[in-house]
Amino acid sequence: MSDAPPPAARPVIEFRGVAKAFGDKQVLRDLSLDVRKGEVLFIIGTSGVGKSVTIKHLIGLLGVDAGEIWFDGKRVDTLREPELAPIRKRIGMVFQNSTLFDSMTLAENVALPLRKHQGMRQKKALVEARRRLDQVYMSEFADRYPAELSDGMRKRAAIARTLTLQPEVVLFDEPTTGLDPVNARRIDRLIRELSGGQGVTSVVVSHDLTSIFSIADRIAFIYQGAVRALGSRDEIRASDDPVVQQFIQGQSSGPMETPGF
Amino acid sequence: MRGLIELWGVFVSTIAGMIRGGRPKGEIVRQMHAIGNKSMLFIAVTLGFIGMVMIYQACMQFNRVTGDLSQVGVQFIRLVTSDFAPTLTGMMLATRVGAGIAAEIGSMKVTEQVDALRMSGVLPVDYLIVPRFIASVVMTVVLTTLGGAIMYVAGGLTAHYQFGVNLKIFFDLSLLNPAHLSLGLVKAVTYGAAIPVVSGFCGLRAKGSSEGVGWATTAAVIGSSLAVLLLDFILSVAGFFVLGEALR
Ligand SMILES: Nc1ncnc2c1ncn2[C@@H]1O[C@H](COP(=O)(O)OP(=O)(O)OP(=O)(O)O)[C@@H](O)[C@H]1O
Ligand SMILES: [Mg+2]
Repeated sequence: MSDAPPPAARPVIEFRGVAKAFGDKQVLRDLSLDVRKGEVLFIIGTSGVGKSVTIKHLIGLLGVDAGEIWFDGKRVDTLREPELAPIRKRIGMVFQNSTLFDSMTLAENVALPLRKHQGMRQKKALVEARRRLDQVYMSEFADRYPAELSDGMRKRAAIARTLTLQPEVVLFDEPTTGLDPVNARRIDRLIRELSGGQGVTSVVVSHDLTSIFSIADRIAFIYQGAVRALGSRDEIRASDDPVVQQFIQGQSSGPMETPGF
Repeated sequence: MRGLIELWGVFVSTIAGMIRGGRPKGEIVRQMHAIGNKSMLFIAVTLGFIGMVMIYQACMQFNRVTGDLSQVGVQFIRLVTSDFAPTLTGMMLATRVGAGIAAEIGSMKVTEQVDALRMSGVLPVDYLIVPRFIASVVMTVVLTTLGGAIMYVAGGLTAHYQFGVNLKIFFDLSLLNPAHLSLGLVKAVTYGAAIPVVSGFCGLRAKGSSEGVGWATTAAVIGSSLAVLLLDFILSVAGFFVLGEALR
């Protein structure tokens, strides 16, 4: 692993042998994964397997116990909080819970990263925020508070907030979970458009089989703290691994061990 | 032990955050309002009643022994300013304000809002703890003053109506000196600082789901109350050494 490929072929993101435990619970054991520039990579796996944990490492929200994480030729797992700011400008994350700040209106929510990361003035940031909300058809709700909106609206606003900084990589943590099929497919299309038109790399954590098999370029299946299978949609569909098959066919019984059940 | 070091880290970054600035506008006022509103009546009633009970008991005892009640008010105000007012207020804020802070910050933690703040380029301590810290220090001093005054007046009225103590003699402030006032003030400021730091720390450590928030809230109440008691002890001993004779 130490002899790195030439820069041109080097993936944007590399996880190398990452391990992470919380207390005595070993979540990631030896996870290695490459993400190529401009692709839509799906991370799939059962609930609690460590998908959210995996992507949070990339932006320094969690620290590794062992292993290395590289972004665009730079090692990120050793950076300290202030040094992570430039990385967090380039990698956006849409959190699983939408996570808009309850005490701010949608416009203020979207304006916050503009003010903090780009040093924009409040007034200018708010104007800009409205423009971004318009892109996700949410401008009429700019002055509402998150608690007043539906889940789907919150999710869209959270995506708008993440996209304000025009990140090169966007991490989506279950962007379609809890959405109706129409809104879910709209989010799928948005993710696809991002990577097609603007060359944005997307890493999507999802259980949503429809989105997985309609927009993924590659799929990584995480099982017992490591990547168990990695490949294109067709490769994963044709996988002869019974654990992978059980997951993608959604069977309740099979060889897969699911902690907690 | 590691927890204590992290707690100290939160305190240090709170102080650093105060100097750095960059907290949301209007947040301090909002927090002061929340703390004051939540606790003003509660503290006034509790300290008022405790003042009445204390004076009642003290006068009964004095009546049995010497029958001279002229010193009760003079001693009472010294105790109220140097200890009762700040410590009782602190204990009460530890439960109410501590629980509130831990629950709020804890639920932001488990719903990933704290992570989202970090992603937006904000230090969570700056946004979440610093405003509560400043508001809490100010409001603890204010509420201590208010609570102490009510306690003193309630005690005085009890002494007057139940035991016939002359109001002029009870409310004699001549033996109250700056040492008592400054010890009381130092205590109020210290508790006001400790409660949001301990509770915010507990909130930031919440994990899992709502269960984790409940756990953090309980830990915050216990932790802040213990902090108040411990600091009361330390400051009283320190005050005795530093101020010595003046407190007698
Ligand atoms: N900050 C934390 N502290 C302690 N344990 C944690 C923390 N974050 C995650 N965990 C644990 O790590 C495990 C993996 O969590 P993670 O959130 O990554 O699961 P997931 O694969 O995203 O599942 P889901 O599909 O339900 O979101 C879980 O058992 C969780 O309890
Ligand atoms: Mg998750």
